[in-house]
Amino acid sequence: MEKMNQTIQKTPVFRVLTDQQIEKIYYSALEVLERCGANVFQDEAIELFKNSDAVVRENRVRVPVSLVERALKTYPNKITLKGRNGKRSVALQKDHVYFGTGSDLPFTYDRETGERRRTLYKDIVNAARFVDYLPNYDFFMSHGIVGDAPNPLTYDRHQFMAMLEGCTKPMVVTSVDGEGLEDLWKMACLFQGGEEEFRLNPMFVAYIEPISPLTNDRTAVEKLLFAAEKGIPAMYTPCPSSGATAPATIPGMLVQSLAETLLAVVLCYLKKPGMPLIMGGVTTVMDMRTTTYSYGSPELSLASAANTDISKWLGLLMFSTGGCTDSKTVDEQAAAESTLSVLNAFLSGANLVHDVGYIDSGVNASLESLVMNEEIIGMVRQIGKGINTDPEYLALQLIDEAGPGGEYVTKDHTYEHWREWYFPKLQDRSDWETWCNNGKKTMLDRVKEETHRILDEYEPEPIDDGIRKELKKIIDDAEKRHSK
Amino acid sequence: MAEDLGKIAESLIAGKVEDVDKMTKESLDAGVSAEEVLNKGLIAGMDVVGQRFKAGDMFIPEVLRSAKAMSAGMEHLRPALAESDTKQAGTLVIGTVEGDLHDIGKNLVGMMFEGAGFKVVNLGIDLKPQVFVDAVKEHKPQLLGMSALLTTTMPKMGETINALKEAGVRDQVKIMVGGAPVTEEYAKEIGADLYGANAASSVDKGKAALGL
Repeated sequence: MEKMNQTIQKTPVFRVLTDQQIEKIYYSALEVLERCGANVFQDEAIELFKNSDAVVRENRVRVPVSLVERALKTYPNKITLKGRNGKRSVALQKDHVYFGTGSDLPFTYDRETGERRRTLYKDIVNAARFVDYLPNYDFFMSHGIVGDAPNPLTYDRHQFMAMLEGCTKPMVVTSVDGEGLEDLWKMACLFQGGEEEFRLNPMFVAYIEPISPLTNDRTAVEKLLFAAEKGIPAMYTPCPSSGATAPATIPGMLVQSLAETLLAVVLCYLKKPGMPLIMGGVTTVMDMRTTTYSYGSPELSLASAANTDISKWLGLLMFSTGGCTDSKTVDEQAAAESTLSVLNAFLSGANLVHDVGYIDSGVNASLESLVMNEEIIGMVRQIGKGINTDPEYLALQLIDEAGPGGEYVTKDHTYEHWREWYFPKLQDRSDWETWCNNGKKTMLDRVKEETHRILDEYEPEPIDDGIRKELKKIIDDAEKRHSK
Repeated sequence: MAEDLGKIAESLIAGKVEDVDKMTKESLDAGVSAEEVLNKGLIAGMDVVGQRFKAGDMFIPEVLRSAKAMSAGMEHLRPALAESDTKQAGTLVIGTVEGDLHDIGKNLVGMMFEGAGFKVVNLGIDLKPQVFVDAVKEHKPQLLGMSALLTTTMPKMGETINALKEAGVRDQVKIMVGGAPVTEEYAKEIGADLYGANAASSVDKGKAALGL
């Protein structure tokens, strides 16, 4: 018989802020926008603010609450991204969590020399192949910045091309400026059947960031306005460093970060209401011994989870962070830090969890870190499945059948349910003797072997020749414009 | 008097800016030489701060407060030191290059240099090469620091060095560059003298390059 008054918890429930705490943070952010405001260094944006209820004094923009709240109502609760393979595989909506890499790492771990060196086009293609191959990755960011592009002002087109070469999954892209984003969008539209289709089936989200505290530079705003105009999904993601570019207290950092986000919320609304804007934030601390912007701190996880709580309360989708480390190499520190942030980001319900595989505090890229995190995400997703307490799972009948001193290994029930468990690919659960006979390999040994195997073997679905020509034309045209 | 100078050092280590400011002035007024106040008071204190920082016993916010105290004391000492020909740390001009609005990294470097007794001229952010050229001419620094956080703005550091060459002032200064994407190798490539990987090592390298 079914009982009355049941609350079933199908998945773990994880929150770090209550509604009352979120309200405090939200009201404080509104206060920041009315009292302090933000600097905006872009002419069109200044004009848009001037023609609104905002108050503009030179480059300082202050925004009344009523305008913020009007703007907040206009954003979509769901954004579906489509890969170049045509699959609508990432459906961003509340509590749906997707994992992906980060972007623009200037350095890459070179497995031949064991040193770090400038990231090259081929490194981006390789990272793309890994993300395409590894099933726990849902979206791809470049995992590096192409260091061998002919011109730093057009590097983004080459970088996107490298990403497309290796990966068919949806992407998050960076661009130099508004013009750069326009070219990337044109490139993406080639796969989506044109501009109109891109609006319904966007292939990428544009990554854009303000400079904390409360500063918006020309190129960032340009990109944001272009995204708003064309309906390109974008995230405006503050990267405050607690104790340096934001208060040393997590709530203080969250208030400032939210004010930075809300300014973009208003600006996009003024440009064209309804664009698919995603809230973001890489909220962490500056290490007070080294001044490093920490990618492995527990504060990163805690503040990010709090930010996700805020995003859900506001009805915005969330771009969060996990799977990254301050360690210079893939080692025990990398594993511990990556696990902590992947787990927290996942439990918090953030929608796009990026920077998976970052090492060296967001400066260095390694393919091994992607392979290791594949395992970590696998374990974490298993936790997310939660516990089912239906009769089939309580197995009362079965316990009775097996009886005292019985066994379960041969039972149909076991045969039917064991596949629901998580099976690690690289983690070792063998006995001592087997492990010795297999060469006493460590996790890192196995990660390295798997990395080599994927590098050697995996070939992604190629880009159609016709589209490739058109992609090349867009890139060549950009080079011509910039060589003048 | 040595006892009083010891107190200056202690206050500096404790980051008591106003006390150091006041005690430095009092020592000078009482007739202690600027050189002695500098060496037995301020530098003695900063040496301890430096050691503790390296040992992991002091942290950036504490070090910066001590640096601020150092800077306050130096304000009083500088005129007298100039008269007495005492060897001084010198001047650092520092800024973030054109197109780059990132501020905090080079501010930290500047503050750490103040802690080492340098006079620091912080030019700000998003600076055209000419601004650096003018500042070198005006302030005649021993060291020029340039910062870039973006790979797109990094080349501006090289352009600025070229502008300094064209203006004929390149050889008057040691040039130090830094920022997340910058490397020792890149610094050499663009013709800088020094690469600063972080705020603390920048000061060490800067001092070493000036023979301090």
